[in-house]
Amino acid sequence: MADDAGTRRLRLLDREAPLGYVLVLPAVVYLALFIAYPFFMSIYLSLTDAQAGNRKWTFVGSKNYSKVENYQILASDFVLASVPTEAEASALVAARGEGKVVTAADGRAFRASLVVGGRTIPVLRMDKEDDASFVGGTILSDLDWRVEKTSSGFRVVAHTPDAPITFGPFPDRAALKRGETETVLVPATMKAKANGKGVMQDPNFLLALKNTFKYTFGTEIIKLCIGIPCAMLLNRRFGGRRVLRGLLVIPWVIPIAISAQAWLWILDSTYSVINWCLVHWGLLAPAHIINFRGDKDWAMLSVILVNVWRGFPFTTIVILAGLTAIPDEILERARLDGANAFQRFLYIISPMVRPILMVSLLFSVIFSFTDFNTIWIITKGGPYDQTQVLSTYAYQLGVNAGYLGKGAAVSLFMFPLMAVMVFFMLQFLRKEA
Amino acid sequence: MADVILEKVEKRFGDVRAVAGIDLKVRDQEFLILVGPSGCGKTTTLRMIAGLEDVTSGDIRIGGRSVTHLAPRDRDIAMVFQSYALYPHMTVGRNMAFSLRLRGMPKKEIDERVRQVAEILGLSEQMERKPRQLSGGQRQRVAVGAALCRQAGVLLFDEPLSNLDAKLRVYMRTELKRLHQSIKSTMVYVTHDQVEAMTMGDRIVIMNGGVICQVGTPLEIYDRPANRFVAGFVGSPPMNFFDGQLAEDSGGLTLLLTGGVRLPLSRTDSGSGGRRVVLGLRPEHILLAPGIRPLSEAGRAATRQEARVRAMIEVVEPLGHRVIVTARSGAGVFQMETELHASLKPGSETDLWFDMTRAYLFDAATEAAI
Repeated sequence: MADDAGTRRLRLLDREAPLGYVLVLPAVVYLALFIAYPFFMSIYLSLTDAQAGNRKWTFVGSKNYSKVENYQILASDFVLASVPTEAEASALVAARGEGKVVTAADGRAFRASLVVGGRTIPVLRMDKEDDASFVGGTILSDLDWRVEKTSSGFRVVAHTPDAPITFGPFPDRAALKRGETETVLVPATMKAKANGKGVMQDPNFLLALKNTFKYTFGTEIIKLCIGIPCAMLLNRRFGGRRVLRGLLVIPWVIPIAISAQAWLWILDSTYSVINWCLVHWGLLAPAHIINFRGDKDWAMLSVILVNVWRGFPFTTIVILAGLTAIPDEILERARLDGANAFQRFLYIISPMVRPILMVSLLFSVIFSFTDFNTIWIITKGGPYDQTQVLSTYAYQLGVNAGYLGKGAAVSLFMFPLMAVMVFFMLQFLRKEA
Repeated sequence: MADVILEKVEKRFGDVRAVAGIDLKVRDQEFLILVGPSGCGKTTTLRMIAGLEDVTSGDIRIGGRSVTHLAPRDRDIAMVFQSYALYPHMTVGRNMAFSLRLRGMPKKEIDERVRQVAEILGLSEQMERKPRQLSGGQRQRVAVGAALCRQAGVLLFDEPLSNLDAKLRVYMRTELKRLHQSIKSTMVYVTHDQVEAMTMGDRIVIMNGGVICQVGTPLEIYDRPANRFVAGFVGSPPMNFFDGQLAEDSGGLTLLLTGGVRLPLSRTDSGSGGRRVVLGLRPEHILLAPGIRPLSEAGRAATRQEARVRAMIEVVEPLGHRVIVTARSGAGVFQMETELHASLKPGSETDLWFDMTRAYLFDAATEAAI
């Protein structure tokens, strides 16, 4: 019996599966503790009203994600009249000084009409007479009236120079729908806006979402534009090619905390070396030096460029791998078939590199989409949230401002978006293969 | 007319002369085979004809027109590569049509020509497939098809069958030969396989060390090798070589091999006694018994010049109807090919007969045939 137990134990030691489980255990524990737990915790947090300093978290369901309280209509560019000749239209614009607003009861509401140059143009229908008269007056005297040419003649458009005129609030979608047809009585550009406490109704979130896409795709496009020629260059035979290949990966392996700090100095508002060079070479007047991180037009470009600098080596290396995988004989055959260098690139090289390129793009998109470090170190999301992306906004909302639930909701928003992007890219890859 | 003429064509890679100034004329509609061991310059020669390698010096003319400095696409050639070089992302049809599309040929004409070629090669069913969905033999045919679509005057083949398994290779050999007979274009074919060369070519060019050793029909090459290299390269199993010396004795000239083996010589024009020579004898010309060749009695008497050699059988390799025997004699180890016989037992000693009427003599120093 003892012998039997002995052999059994030996057999257990001899088998590989138990050993595998033992070896993998630390990794499983690590994954569970530091990845799975935070992930599920943030899902939970995003469903509560958790706030820093609050002891009790109440479950609020999807309220953090989307909670509409009411709707508004944002209207602009009211088309006041369509006339056959330009003269008539101009006359109408000229007559607006003597025009006036007339309100009249219309059912339970009041209708405001503009009386201009002998025409009566019903423009609005609002619940309160004061409101109708006030908004009508705004259209008459504050908006910018223009004559526009259409396919069949001319029209007079009351153009809203900055903010559109808001109507509402409407409590639900049905009311909004009614409002769209019954409030503004002339053709106009109308947009519905939802107000509420969920992140979907948060204009800063929507801005961050837009910025995230700008940041991701801006980065990817520039990376490809730089990576493809670099890879083709490095694929040629020349002296020092190996050294250059080695140097290439430096931006990628330097810790971002260090390289971004260097970029912070390079992009400094006062001491920027780029500005210094441009001024030194006479390309820029000292009075017009660029505020890379503070100017709203430059800030996004600056963080994109830093991210490109950091990420393009990876793209280049991957494309290079794809290029070296193309057998010489295929390119030789293409030459014999009569393809010139451009045609070889277009018909042979790019389609053959595309699958591996898509893999690198996939990684790189995920990387940029979730990137926090670069932006946080360079701009912290500023100026005026112009470089605010989802990851930095989640941090600001959740950690800096203490709205843990909302911050978690913002960060979790990235999952479905990325899932969709990854799905389509993988789909494309499979079709290629 | 698409003949190919090479005049003093030379190719250097740095200090290495890969092709050392060769002259060659490929006749119109000929199936010419370049054969030789690896590194002999045959592929370089082909690639120079294709325009994939620059010519260091010399001139290449195709159809009477010098193409030495023309781009590959302007040379009126098409090429089939060793690895087939099919575009993996294109369907079979697109692969075959690619060169025509680049030439801006009308789509209808392209479709028509590709259809015809696909029919000839039996690829009509595979037109929508991608190369990786095809078997090795099918890929090979697509590669040939893509070259045929060009309707070029000269077709170049760079070891096209070396990636196929043995059975398919034999089959494709026949197919390519049949193809040549039906399309009648000039073909230059590189291989390292002497069986391919012997079976397929109208003429064979044997190259070694960047120079041409011999040009001739398969039979010429086999029967009258110009030197020891050619003799040893062609034939399987290869020719046996024995170092020896001519000696004069009372009966005329004899051949004295190492180990004291003395053989009569049927020829008298091989030089004088004392000359160092190499005896070459094909395995099938070593016999188990005197005179088993099917010759008439009179003919046998006239040509009988067989010499007995005592040998020890070392290895016996039956091939079915034939057997290859490796034996050791005083003059060295040699191989013979014969019918299976009871006396062929490894380790046994037996008398073998060298058919001296079929013997070749080479000068030991120059290795040229005597």
